[in-house]
Amino acid sequence: MLVGVGVVFFVFLLLWTAILWWVATRASVLVPYEGISAVVTRLRRWGTLLIVVVLALAFLLSLPFLPYPSSRAARLGPPQVTVEVTGRMWAWELSQKTIPRGQTVEFVVRAVDVNHGFGIYAPDGRIVTQVQAMPGYTNRLLYRFDEPGTYTIRCLEFCATGHHLMVAEFTVQ
Amino acid sequence: MAGQVGNGNSAQAQRSVEQATLVYMLVGFAVFLLMGLLGLLMRLQHAGWIDLGPRWFYRIMTLHGAGMVAGVLLASLGGVARVIAPRIGLSPRLLWTAFVVYFLGSGLVILATLVGGFAAGWTTTYPLPVRGDWPMSATWGFLLGYTLVAVAFLLWCVAVLFGAVRAFGGLGNALAWPVLFGRKTERPLPTGPELAATVVAIDGVIAVGAGVVYLVPIFAQMLGLVDGFDVLFAKNMLFLFGHTLVNLNIYLAVALVYATLGAYTGRMFKMGFPVALAFNLVIILVLLPYFHHLYQDFVQPWPLHLIGQFGSYAVGVPAFFVTIVGSLGYLYGSQVRWSAPVIFILAGLWGWVAGGVAAVLDGTIAINNVMHNTLWVPAHFHSYYLFGAAGFTWAYLFHTLGGSEGWVTTPAARWLSWLYAIGAGGFVVAFFLSGLQSVPRRYAEHIAAWHPLAQLAVPFVLLLGIAFLGLLFLSLRAIPAAWRAPAPAAGSDD
Ligand code: HEM
Ligand SMILES: [Cu+2]
Ligand SMILES: [Cu+2]
Repeated sequence: MLVGVGVVFFVFLLLWTAILWWVATRASVLVPYEGISAVVTRLRRWGTLLIVVVLALAFLLSLPFLPYPSSRAARLGPPQVTVEVTGRMWAWELSQKTIPRGQTVEFVVRAVDVNHGFGIYAPDGRIVTQVQAMPGYTNRLLYRFDEPGTYTIRCLEFCATGHHLMVAEFTVQ
Repeated sequence: MAGQVGNGNSAQAQRSVEQATLVYMLVGFAVFLLMGLLGLLMRLQHAGWIDLGPRWFYRIMTLHGAGMVAGVLLASLGGVARVIAPRIGLSPRLLWTAFVVYFLGSGLVILATLVGGFAAGWTTTYPLPVRGDWPMSATWGFLLGYTLVAVAFLLWCVAVLFGAVRAFGGLGNALAWPVLFGRKTERPLPTGPELAATVVAIDGVIAVGAGVVYLVPIFAQMLGLVDGFDVLFAKNMLFLFGHTLVNLNIYLAVALVYATLGAYTGRMFKMGFPVALAFNLVIILVLLPYFHHLYQDFVQPWPLHLIGQFGSYAVGVPAFFVTIVGSLGYLYGSQVRWSAPVIFILAGLWGWVAGGVAAVLDGTIAINNVMHNTLWVPAHFHSYYLFGAAGFTWAYLFHTLGGSEGWVTTPAARWLSWLYAIGAGGFVVAFFLSGLQSVPRRYAEHIAAWHPLAQLAVPFVLLLGIAFLGLLFLSLRAIPAAWRAPAPAAGSDD
């Protein structure tokens, strides 16, 4: 996912830079505005239509990939393992530190003091999924780990002085 | 200038308005430079080259965020007030009062963080402000400081609303509805900046209302009147306030683009159907995207998540068809007078759109699940802000100080402006790459694997700093003249 996002973003950035560069070089010459204003009107009409269509498609295509429990359960199957997670300033408590691979896990995430962020980092250092840990609420996060190894939990919601120290680990085997 | 509108200012009042708004912009610029220095410190820390310790890092982070948002907003409010005052008739006394209130509020924020040790981040997400390891007096100072800044902003909004309604004869006219619905009217119509200011004022009042709903229970809790309140509700109010406020800043800045570009291209922004449509859409659309801050709060009702994704996608569309296509059309083939303001606007379009596309990606719920609270988020709003909201505002400031033929067109000013664009560009690209590497935001300590990208960012930040110091030096000499003499024509009118 992250690689895809990066590619889309940087390809767009290159294109956009090129467009601006071209406009900048053409800004120094004189072209009567009558000719340009017709192009501007067309760009407004068709460019807007194009953008609306692309955004609408992206919106629809993204819907099956919602991270919420019902959506994840539909893709991964119902949870087979339940892990209770509690966040407090500044430590994580997990009901178990070993998780079987290939099974759907349900993390039941709570916080006792302030908001924390339950972020799971894969062995390669990338975030695989996350959910907020909120006082007074219980959030359920479903995920299936297919790669074995040591996963790192990092707090992803600012919780003051010890925020960056809220790190824990679990093993997938 | 279009026909005299109802209640324009007298010449003397207008001069006083120009002095007040110059002070808004210069103080905002000074705050921006100082807060930028704090930003450099944080990136040096991320690079592993200095060690501030977590307490100071988080205080600095809180002050940098709050100070930047407040400083840039102050400058934009000043700039827009200066552009719209002649026809809308803002009173100098009101502008000076708002400035003093704003200044006192900012002073409290600085004391609360640097002396009091308040470090809950600029968003001060409940219940952190009342659960931190700093004295409660620091929380009082910080939140009262915010309250004063919000009051000053509210004063500005209310003054603009009343002024616009009076000048154009009703809210509908002030919102250019005759243009929108093709109705004939005897009344003069608002210009782009006047319309933008009215829209910002309307949403500004709503945002401040949400801010009050957020702050009052916290004050009540600190006074011992209540034990606590719902964190999810608090977060909704917080971001309805904070996200909206920050977004409104860009519309103020866009108004300043309208007011600046004409002087260098010879082509004036015109009030027409697309502009009227875009800004009327924005009134509603700008209130929706804030839900994207809560995607990972799984207990929030899911339709609100989808509204957030819809709003995050939709809010960019009016900007595309009016400001982006419009400005590029005005630049193309205009034999533009290359100068610091033009380069800032061109770079501003680059970064503003880059930040916008990054926001659309991150505003997608499925993607947000792996990007939320990584450095991708500051990467997005730094592009958007540093280039857009701030960059456009500095374009107008330099234009105000330099005219369309003064120091801003000298080779030194142009080179420094390009240097700024490169410095700011490298800085935000490194931020984006850090986000793709899953580096968390708001971490006082970074593991070794995260250092290289921060190290890459540092030279670009230095470049940015050098560019701004040079521009500051060039512009300082123009300040006395700008204080005494009336400003060059804004170039915004039809
Ligand atoms: C001038 C160059 C700038 C530099 C070098 C800089 C640097 C930084 C850094 C390193 C962070 C911390 C990122 C993290 O670890 O989460 C940060 C956060 C932030 N910056 Fe900047 N920044 C700059 C300009 C701006 C501008 C123009 C704004 C405009 C409003 C701004 C607003 C913020 C905000 C709101 C935060 C978040 C603070 C928080 O998380 O509480 N910065 N900046
Ligand atoms: Cu935490
Ligand atoms: Cu945390």
